[in-house]
Order: sequence, then C-alpha cells, then structure tokens
Amino acid sequence: MQGDDQERFEDYLELEQFIEELQAGHAAHPPAELTPEKANIYRMAALFRSASPDAAELRPEFAAELHARLEEEIQQRQKKRERPKLLPFLYRKQGSSGREADRDNGRSNVSRRALLAGGAAVAASLVVGAGLMHEVDQATSKPSATNSGTTIQWDEQLIADGQPTTWHFVTTLAELGDKVVRFATDTIVGYLTFDDTKGDPDEGKLVAMSAACTHMGCIVQWNSAEQRFVCPCHNGLFTEYGEPDPRSPVRYLSALPRLRTKVENGNIYVEVPTGGPSTAKPPRLNHQS
Amino acid sequence: MGTLHGKSARKEPAIAGSGQDSVDVQEFQKFYQEHLGQIYRYVYSRVGNREEAEDLTSQIFIKAVRGIDRERGALSMQHWLFQVARTTIADYWRVHYRVSVSSLDELLETGWEGPAEEAVTLESVRPEERVRRILQALPEHYREVLTCRFLLNLSIRDTAQKMGLTEANVKVLQFRALKRAADLESVVTG
Repeated sequence: MQGDDQERFEDYLELEQFIEELQAGHAAHPPAELTPEKANIYRMAALFRSASPDAAELRPEFAAELHARLEEEIQQRQKKRERPKLLPFLYRKQGSSGREADRDNGRSNVSRRALLAGGAAVAASLVVGAGLMHEVDQATSKPSATNSGTTIQWDEQLIADGQPTTWHFVTTLAELGDKVVRFATDTIVGYLTFDDTKGDPDEGKLVAMSAACTHMGCIVQWNSAEQRFVCPCHNGLFTEYGEPDPRSPVRYLSALPRLRTKVENGNIYVEVPTGGPSTAKPPRLNHQS
Repeated sequence: MGTLHGKSARKEPAIAGSGQDSVDVQEFQKFYQEHLGQIYRYVYSRVGNREEAEDLTSQIFIKAVRGIDRERGALSMQHWLFQVARTTIADYWRVHYRVSVSSLDELLETGWEGPAEEAVTLESVRPEERVRRILQALPEHYREVLTCRFLLNLSIRDTAQKMGLTEANVKVLQFRALKRAADLESVVTG
C-alpha cells in the first residue's frame, strides 16, 4: 500500500488515543508537528466523529448564551456608531490625539464589553461589586497636592471614559525593580513591571496590564523561568510586556490591555475600574519574581 | 452607503463600509438563528467534540461581529462570517500542520477584503452526508472498521471481536481507513 513504509507503530497508538478521547466526548488534540497527510487523518477522525449518533448537538443553552453576548456586543456598538473602531485595545499604538477625541465622545463601558467578549472566564478578572481601596481614595482625592508626582500616560484600552476608576496602590518603585508584580482588586487582576529592554519603544516606563488573556479571558500566569506570561487555558504566550509572543501556539492573540500608571513619591498606582458601591476590602498583593 | 449582496439567494443583512454600522439587533438575531447551526456543525465536523466546537463557534461569531466595521468595503455578512469561520478553523489546525496557513489576523492586517465576486461558502454538504458518501466509496473492510468505531461507537476490543481481528490489527486498519478516507474526501464530496 502506498505510503505504508512511512507509518510507525506509534502512529496507530496515537490515533487510537485521539479516537478514544473523541468517543468519550472529550476535547482531543492530535500530536504536534503532524505532516499534512497525517493531519488529514485526524481531521477525518473528527469528521467521522461528528457523524456519530453520540455527537453533541447544538445545546440550546449555548445558543442562548452566545446570543446574549453577541446582542450585547451589538448594542454597545450601536451606541458607539461614531466610533470607527470597536476594540480600542487592538489599536493600542494609535496616537494620543485620537484618544483625547474618544474621551470627548464620552464612550462608555469598554471593559464591560471586554467582559462580555471574553466570555465567562473574564469574570474572574473583572468581578462586579467592588470596593474602594482606602489608601487609593486618599490618593485620588488630592491630585493637585502632589507636586513631586509624575503621571505616566498610557493608552487606555480597558477602561472607558465615564467609567468610575480609582488609583490602586500596587507597590513602590524600589520594591518593583525589574520584577513582575501581580496585583488584584475586586474588579481586575493584572501585572505590573518595568520596561528595561534597550531600544524598546516603552523603555524606561512602567507597564501595567490586565491578566485576562485576550483569547478567552483566562488569567495568564507569570513564568519567571521563561520570562513569559502563559495562559493556562490554551497555552497562549505573551512577552513580559504583554505583547503576543510569536512562539505562542495560539496565534490570533492581541496584546494584553494596558492600564494607566502613575508614580507619586515612589509609590506606583494603577488605574483600575471600580465596581458598584460596596464595603472596602484591603488590597491583595503578592509579589512574584 | 451601498450594500453588496452575495450570490446566495438568502436575504442577508447588509454591512455598510466607511466605518458605519448598519447591523441592528433584530437583523442580527435573524442572521444568528439562520447561521448558528450551520457554523456549529461545520466547526464540530472539524474538531469532533462539543467543548471545542462551542469555544470556536463563540470565537467565530464574536470575531465576525467585531470585524464588521474593520472591513473597508461593503461585504455581505454571511460572506464575512464564513470567511472568519474558515480562518478560525485554519488557525486551529495550523498548530498541527507544518504548512503555514494565513491567519485571520494576518488577513486583517494586510487589509484583506475578500474576493469581491467569488462566493464564499462552507461545505454545502452536511457532515453526515459527507461521511456517508466517503463510506460508500471505501473498500469493505475500511468501511466496516470506521462504521464500528465511529457510527456504532464500539471500542477497539468489540470492533476486533466483531471483525475477527486482533486489537492491533484494528488500530492499523482504522489508521489506513481514515487515510484513505482523507484521500477520497474531495473526490466524493466535491
């Protein structure tokens, strides 16, 4: 038989494992680095599985859930007709003048949209019903009193104007060093680091970003050995500054949305969305190197 | 802004270009109901399991909705949805292929607007029908092993018993049967 000499015993076993996973109704992945010919064999297994009487029909719950998400997405867009772009964080590099114009248009809840867009998993990073942080209240209430403070402007992608925000204290410049620090508020999980890469456009600046993977919203984890953020759901990779890593197995990722930061007296604050009024909780903070 | 209707006879909500947005919720609802099943079946036939089929179907519709106003020219929504579906599946499979496939992002970055005239379709033949045709075209022992494993959902052991083979033989046979099926696919399903 043609091509028989290229078959290995392992090929049969690997395929059988794949078929067994499909029969069990599980998500199944072929071995990596298949030749196109072998990949076709796996594609065919998926096709045959879809013709099985056990194949999963479209669940009405799923249809309703997705419908609700899309409807919300479209309604948000209807309100923003004047806005040419739907997802500002996909266009992070756009000029600051455009951003100011956006601000004047009073665009609303982008982060709400991001929540809907990313699916249920995003809820883990944007918890509704947040409390204000004590010290951050103080920080925001006296903006003019900080003559030694410098405010670093970032393109904002996650937070819409009009959405209530607060400045969340994360750490100090001295503490941060070149580490990556994770922070969590009641509304968002994120990472803060310092861009010390020579020649980088953002060299010498603080980088604060949401930890919600731009693929499906799972919370990415910092891998210090690899110097990469890794998404636990589909192994998507982001660089230490939240850019999609070219080596990522998930190739259609956009960058992690950034958050604005400011430094006052050596203390680093990140602008985070607030939720509804609720009782204040102490900030959770843990350092990762 | 004018609208462009694809070759499909189906009435389609139109998408205006130039950053304007002519999709309203009601139109979309109808469009969604008409196409969800089709997209889901298409995706399912590519991944063979519900979890990923739902995940990818969601991605496709969300990308389609978001991508609409990134289109420069007028483009039918169905045309765009199918294109997103195909590139999303290509992205999914490219991880496992060595050959490179254009990803959706690459297409968008380069300002891809799609073939203006050529109708974009997914398979017109339903997965069950495609499988039936492939089975018919296969030699008897291949047809039998695939029927046992996929249509009857038999285990390796039961299949071996039924066919009077060893389990090792069944594993080899199903591998070759799927390989042959892949060769036949385009021939019998167009």
